[in-house]
Amino acid sequence: MENSPSELGLAARVTSLQKTYGSATTSVTALDDVSIGIRRGQFTAIMGPSGSGKSTLMHIMAGLDTATAGRAWLGDTEISALGDAALTVLRRRRVGFIFQAFNLVPTLDVRGNILLPFALDGRKPSSTESAWIEQLIESLGLADRLTHRPHELSGGQQQRVAIARALATRPELVFADEPTGNLDSRSGREVLALLKAASTGYGQSIAMVTHDPIAASYADRILFLADGRLVEDRERSSAEDISRIMLGMEQRA
Amino acid sequence: MSDRQTTRMTPAGQAGRGASLLVAALASAFGVVLLQVTSVLATVISGDDVGSIGAVKSALTLVAVLFITIAVYVSSIVTTNTVATIIAGRTRTIALMRLIGSSARDQRRAVAREGLAVGAAGAVIGAAVGTLLMAGGVQIAVAAGAIPDLRYSLLDPLLVLPVAVVVLSTWCAAWVGSRRVLRVSPMQAVGAAQELSLEETIRRPARNVIAVLLIVAGVVFLTGGVIVGQVSEYGVLLGLVGGLLSFSGLVLGSHLIMPPILRLVGRGLGSNAPARLAAANAQQHPERSSRATIGLVIGVTLITMFAVAGATFEKMMELAMEDPTVRAAISEMVGISLAVISVLVGFSALIAAVGMVNNLALSVLQRSREIGLLRALGFTGRQVRTMILAESLQMTVAAVALGLVLGVVYGWAAAQSLFGAVANIGLVAPAVPWLLVVLCLAGTAILAIGATIVPARRAVSVAPVAALAAG
Repeated sequence: MENSPSELGLAARVTSLQKTYGSATTSVTALDDVSIGIRRGQFTAIMGPSGSGKSTLMHIMAGLDTATAGRAWLGDTEISALGDAALTVLRRRRVGFIFQAFNLVPTLDVRGNILLPFALDGRKPSSTESAWIEQLIESLGLADRLTHRPHELSGGQQQRVAIARALATRPELVFADEPTGNLDSRSGREVLALLKAASTGYGQSIAMVTHDPIAASYADRILFLADGRLVEDRERSSAEDISRIMLGMEQRA
Repeated sequence: MSDRQTTRMTPAGQAGRGASLLVAALASAFGVVLLQVTSVLATVISGDDVGSIGAVKSALTLVAVLFITIAVYVSSIVTTNTVATIIAGRTRTIALMRLIGSSARDQRRAVAREGLAVGAAGAVIGAAVGTLLMAGGVQIAVAAGAIPDLRYSLLDPLLVLPVAVVVLSTWCAAWVGSRRVLRVSPMQAVGAAQELSLEETIRRPARNVIAVLLIVAGVVFLTGGVIVGQVSEYGVLLGLVGGLLSFSGLVLGSHLIMPPILRLVGRGLGSNAPARLAAANAQQHPERSSRATIGLVIGVTLITMFAVAGATFEKMMELAMEDPTVRAAISEMVGISLAVISVLVGFSALIAAVGMVNNLALSVLQRSREIGLLRALGFTGRQVRTMILAESLQMTVAAVALGLVLGVVYGWAAAQSLFGAVANIGLVAPAVPWLLVVLCLAGTAILAIGATIVPARRAVSVAPVAALAAG
């Protein structure tokens, strides 16, 4: 009898994950027998060069894409067995997202975007949730921006709104896909510090895909992917160490 | 960048060209058929008396030209808007071409050339199909004994006129619709490209001032027409000027008038997430939603105007005339004229509806990333479909409602200014034919739902991953 992911202290887990694209003759392997667990309450970075399969891995773990073979869990729910409708509800209630760009719905103001997960669920936040959201808005410095539209905000501000939205439902796991990719270095550092604070302060589990060693240095744990395989699993490391590992991976390739 | 190099192949470009082709074909077929019907009618009426055919024909042709003008006007607006919508969605590609070194003029010329080609193809196809339908129709009518078996000439040099007008108007519409190309900066290839925001749109003083002046002047003339109409039927001339001025003002200022109406209708849609997003979508790009709806407003206004004018005239005569046989005769005449006019104007409304459906489809195609984001955040397929339907409902309801109100006002003013002196009973309340209102509501419902079938299928098929792609 294998242990359930939650008994192992994992927010998400994949085993023997395989993903291939294209037909038999021209197939490309994006993921090749990947098994990892994302620990609860930790800020985990998934690193790798372009084409390493890190984005594909995140898409499958978040229920946005399906694997060719292997299994994936979010908490104790095996998501590789779920249909589109169940995955949709799962994304809405149990997962948060922060993307590189185009994070916000352009027609909604800041408050509308933050409350979107609740609106999609057809409910209003409870009083505890409202208090939490107000606290988020305050700590992310968005209090005087609530009626602004996304196009009136800087990139860093937009990303902070996306963070507020992702944290608003207190999801089991927040996925961040290159969250600093479109930002200047100062805004980027701010965003990373906020993600780290969410993890250490509120015990929020976060999985961040990045190829930036500085971004990864904010994480508690760093998983390195290359050519669709897990090649390294490190605890917190400095940007220099991470760069060295990345360079080593490039040279071996 | 993942876009294909030329936008000629993109779904949005194809959908837009398809719609422009259809609009040009419809307008051309309408023009050709109407002139042919005129010619057939003239032949029937004058019988074997070849001498009188000229006079009858020229009178009927004049009426036909009026309705062809309306159809071409509406189709020009629809095509201008379609082109403008395509350009808005193509901004990034145009910016990239500019970045590489293509001039804005070259880009615009390419759009206009495409308009000319589409207009020419549509006009010729429409004329051919129209003539075939007409030839078949005449055969059937002769066989059924509805019209005498005379020598009908369907191919008249005059038919070149509607075809040429449609080609030229489509060309011009593409040119006018593509003016936005000039404002695309090469830098937009690098950053995110957006349509003008609400504030920027409304801050266009010259156009706004002209629109307001036209409306005010129009209302003054309309009021003058109604007052003068009490003593002389020449009041209708003032009314006509007033109608033209105020309506042009409304079309020009549609970006000021439509958004509040859309907002009002949007509030009535409900407060769930799909409805609220739909309402926000229609208001986000006031220019685009005004463009999408104004054609339909024009169509509904014209239909309602003629119907209300007729019904009000009938009511005035009923009040003024004592003799029941005269009343019955007037009622019959009004009924027949209205039926004919409604069909003729209804065709323009059809063209406008094609434009609105197309605009909705384009807006869904251009919003794949946004829909992908919503799907990633947990929007179900059904919620996406509801959102598209709500958006469509909002636009059709707003357009039809405004059209009905305007039509009642214009129709009433027309009846008062033309027949006020004859009836000589002072002002009467406008008579609204309720059958028309019910038909309009039914048409609205069918249009609103029908318009969403293809866009909704397309929207539901957007993968959540579409939002995650960078850039």
